Amino acid sequence: MSESGTGQLMLGHEVPDFEMDTYDPVAKNFSKFSLAEQKQAGRWTILFFYPADFTFV
Amino acid sequence: MGADIVTVSTDTHYVHLAWQRHEKELADVRYTMGADPTGSLSRLFGVYDDFSGLALRGTFIINPAGVLMNSEVNFYNMGRNINELMRKFKANLYLAKKVDEGCPSTWQEEGDKTLRPSPEMVGRVHEALHE
Repeated sequence: MSESGTGQLMLGHEVPDFEMDTYDPVAKNFSKFSLAEQKQAGRWTILFFYPADFTFV
Repeated sequence: MGADIVTVSTDTHYVHLAWQRHEKELADVRYTMGADPTGSLSRLFGVYDDFSGLALRGTFIINPAGVLMNSEVNFYNMGRNINELMRKFKANLYLAKKVDEGCPSTWQEEGDKTLRPSPEMVGRVHEALHE
């Protein structure tokens, strides 16, 4: 991701824009996720962090 | 419902591909898998564990304006309840339309009882929920 913010995030406050590399298991292809693009598209985002690929939910 | 779910770990997108291709438990995964190998996104959201280099089980809902609306973090050994995540997401969609209302803990879907905070309600939340 691009480093565009530091410090603790707060509910009700804007998240600084970020980007990251992704793998799309439906298209079976690499892509990128961009919060700025989500905002342009008017989409909600749910980020679901997990420790590693063998410990999913 | 107009949301994109992105799962994020400190693995690379190459590892995501390999796991998803070979691990039967991940065969049905339809969500975009995000790669945060430097941990910078995990740090931004306060879920990066410096000792392990892994991300804790953090769930964050961001609205279309880029505002953080919801946050939940579980430790490694505690799974998440997807029904509760969906409940919170649906409540956020509802509250985006009804900004003067509040969804109580029992709220499940549109049409369920909501609260409208006001001076009259102070001390009468029970009545507001059950009348």
